[in-house]
Amino acid sequence: MLEAFNFRVILEYMPLYGKCFLATLWLSALSLFGAILVGIIACAMRLSQSRFLSRAAGVYIESIRSTPLLAQLYFFYFGLPTLGIMLPEWVTGVLALTLNSGAYYAEIIRSGIQAIHFGQIEAGIASGLSYFQRMRHIILPQALGMTIRPMLGQAIVLVKDSSLLSLISIMELTRAGQLLTSERFMPTEGFLTTAAFYLIIYYMLKAFSNWSEKRLIFQEAY
Amino acid sequence: MISFKNVNKWYGDLHVLNDIDLEIAPGEVVVVCGPSGSGKSTLIRCINRLEPIQKGELVVDNMAVHDKKINMTKIRADIGFVFQSFNLYPHMTALQNTTIAPLKVRKMKNEEAEKLGREVLTRVGLEDRIDHYPAQLSGGQQQRVAIARGLCMRPKIMLFDEPTSALDPEMIGEVLDVMKTLAREGMTMMVVTHEMGFAREVANRVVFMDEGKIVEVAPPNDFFTNPQTERGKYFLSSILSH
Ligand SMILES: Nc1ncnc2c1ncn2[C@@H]1O[C@H](COP(=O)(O)OP(=O)(O)O)[C@@H](O)[C@H]1O
Ligand SMILES: [Mg+2]
Repeated sequence: MLEAFNFRVILEYMPLYGKCFLATLWLSALSLFGAILVGIIACAMRLSQSRFLSRAAGVYIESIRSTPLLAQLYFFYFGLPTLGIMLPEWVTGVLALTLNSGAYYAEIIRSGIQAIHFGQIEAGIASGLSYFQRMRHIILPQALGMTIRPMLGQAIVLVKDSSLLSLISIMELTRAGQLLTSERFMPTEGFLTTAAFYLIIYYMLKAFSNWSEKRLIFQEAY
Repeated sequence: MISFKNVNKWYGDLHVLNDIDLEIAPGEVVVVCGPSGSGKSTLIRCINRLEPIQKGELVVDNMAVHDKKINMTKIRADIGFVFQSFNLYPHMTALQNTTIAPLKVRKMKNEEAEKLGREVLTRVGLEDRIDHYPAQLSGGQQQRVAIARGLCMRPKIMLFDEPTSALDPEMIGEVLDVMKTLAREGMTMMVVTHEMGFAREVANRVVFMDEGKIVEVAPPNDFFTNPQTERGKYFLSSILSH
């Protein structure tokens, strides 16, 4: 098996893998940032007093969660140009990943917020803190802190989902494996190398998760 | 300082506050008591509009709280509210709990807020617990942090909703002592409590409520020794019997 494994070809493709590894990192980081932001906004809308905002966020969250990401990706990739909106592929890709994970983040953050005892929010109101100040200083730090594990779980899902971007010809890790496979007919080398790079990202996220959990000592309060 | 005129409030069909008339002067300490469900919490929660009223006039520090158009931020900043369940922010230390509102609502500078926080926590006897998180404090200590949190806003009024009923008996004293000191320093206070000792020592008046109405208002000694109403007598015998 090992003799059959062609390391020379992998080395030859290493510069491509390096570039694609950075692309996956970068596309995922951008989408992750966007998704958390979208998640916070969608969650705030979902929990708001306004029926309209709450319904709108509900429809968004449900429709994302009930349809496959690939369908969403194609919807943006083929659908937006027919509406006259021309975006570079990578923007379309990041948009799809952001909106997809955003819906999941909205639900994760909501579970964190609903675990916060309402009395604290009342205490904030009673001391004159505004809605945004309560969100910023009381609710979100706790909701994010309590949900650090599911948040990172979703981040890992997002990184893996970014492989679908290869289907709209964005250069990223999975695309690198596809190239090696089609140019040299070496699917084992191609996709095992791809997998190894995903594993690196996974361990990076996991290390971050462990580090942040140690920092959030107040979690002992729960 | 606080003036209720013909105040009424309903939860659906339930008439929780029924024609409330009550005037509280600056520096006065008023204890509110009455059976569970009589509307005591609702009464004091209306003062900073944690609950809106539906009819009547409620004027606090010359501001018309019943007026829906009024901005409550300033008046809330001037009223400290202490809850039965403490409601501290668990992700903040004792000091951070006390300085968050001065920093964000009063826009105080960092050093100034920290100095104030330390000073007030020292006043409630927690100078050695300043960097502790709520989960690392006993119930009595948590409630004293909650009082300090209110005091850091230099309030004109302090409201207390059963501040000792969630505490183990051995911790009630330390919280009541802080409240007695406040009362003697001239703070305007409205306190929902069944602690008769506290009422006798520092209250100017006792307000007895039942079924959403104020049934009796009297100086504490008069009310506790010689209630004028049947309901007052019945209530006193029920809290004395255990
Ligand atoms: N948010 C609410 N919705 C409906 N009913 C309520 C609400 N809060 C309190 N009540 C009812 O109003 C009445 C008075 O409550 P409360 O002011 O808490 O009484 P107390 O503090 O004297 O025990 C009770 O019958 C209670 O069940
Ligand atoms: Mg009550």
